[in-house]
Amino acid sequence: MIGFGAQVAAIARRDLRRERRTGEVVWVTLPFGAIALLLVPLAIGTDAPMLQRIGPGLFWVVVMLFGVLISVRQTNAETTAQRDQVALTGLDPAAIYVGRAAASFVLLVVFQAALGVVTLVLYDVPVEGLVLLPVTFLVVGAGLALLGTLAAGIVSTGTNATALVPLLVAPLSIPLLIGATQALEALRLGRSSLTWVLMMIVTVLVLAIAGVLSARPLQETG
Amino acid sequence: MTDRPQSTTTSWPWIAMAVAGLITFVASMTVNPDAIQGQLSRIMYVHVPSAWLAYLAFAVTMAASAMYLWKRDLAWDRRAHASAEIGVVFTAMAIGLGMTWAKPTWGVWWTWDARLTLTAIMFFVYLGYLALRRTTDDLHARARRSAILGVLAVVQIPLVHFSVIWWRTLHQPPSVFEPASPDIDTPMLATLLLAVAMFTVMYVAMMVKRVELARLEDEILVSEQVDDSVVAGEAVTAPLLDGGAA
Repeated sequence: MIGFGAQVAAIARRDLRRERRTGEVVWVTLPFGAIALLLVPLAIGTDAPMLQRIGPGLFWVVVMLFGVLISVRQTNAETTAQRDQVALTGLDPAAIYVGRAAASFVLLVVFQAALGVVTLVLYDVPVEGLVLLPVTFLVVGAGLALLGTLAAGIVSTGTNATALVPLLVAPLSIPLLIGATQALEALRLGRSSLTWVLMMIVTVLVLAIAGVLSARPLQETG
Repeated sequence: MTDRPQSTTTSWPWIAMAVAGLITFVASMTVNPDAIQGQLSRIMYVHVPSAWLAYLAFAVTMAASAMYLWKRDLAWDRRAHASAEIGVVFTAMAIGLGMTWAKPTWGVWWTWDARLTLTAIMFFVYLGYLALRRTTDDLHARARRSAILGVLAVVQIPLVHFSVIWWRTLHQPPSVFEPASPDIDTPMLATLLLAVAMFTVMYVAMMVKRVELARLEDEILVSEQVDDSVVAGEAVTAPLLDGGAA
């Protein structure tokens, strides 16, 4: 019997290997997010100071909405038979949940970093808040990964599964969106960002606990 | 062929709803209007109870969902579903009436106020809950999935309720359950509390009818699944003897 950590690592490795083969995040979701950042100025106007002001907020909205696609990719990729096969291996359902979330976390951090560069270039965003950015990327990545994996587990293979996950994730990711935008804004204005970062960390912890506790009942559901 | 479930005949909820509705209407139309807002303030007697009922309904959804996860009894799932559905209707009512009240008082239908925005988000979360229930016909799978969401989603209620205290908002702070003293005239407060009580009666009546209906829906679903199911060995035909006789 292998330990919990090894089970998590095995599941995460499997998901990341699948991503390396298909390249879904790097070749599809990331360009899609970049296109969204390109389209907004075409729709609302190319006034440089305005774009500079809305750039950071827009970046987080794109991360939240398109980040869901990263979490939901496993729902699309896995068939019921594959899911049953994983369940039959006897792996701890909580380890499967954490492993999947860990893989999504890695991909989401890469996604945020790449899209962050695109935002900096296109919107000429001021760089004062950049010290906090890696921390925010990590916390938002963890939160979105845990939430998306939980939602994908809840929806599973039902009808409209792919469309339903974003509907569940988007409203519940509000604390992450508010935390991320306000933390950087506070830093820009010379105020402490600690409260906002703590709020995001609490959200991540709540999601982790909820995901681990619900992993077994959700696996029973099939 | 399985027998179709019999329709429900409980009639007291209809009477309770009608009486409670009538009492609310008469009380809210006879109380003196607000000194500043005038007749417009009468919206309060439907808007506030609607919001209260939404909180109550979603809290019941959470409790019934937790009970389902514990007992694995579908009756709890039906209560959770019924309550969520009623909660969504009353959240929509609270938002709609709030907007109607906001236009003449604030000058806009919608403003980016914390309570308004969070209430709209709560509405969408529970809309997602109802959508989730339509993804599978397996009663226990549906119940387990939605129960987990039903428990998780309840965090919205304290967020919405305390948003007017935690953030600086345009929406007024609590007038009735204020820590110090209620910031509302006594007859208006009495009418408001009566309306809240009557809405609660309506909620109970609606729950009784909706749970009955949910039970019938489940029975129909099960009967259809039994009707449609293939009997084991159906595809195997008996070997034919000479002359075609089985």
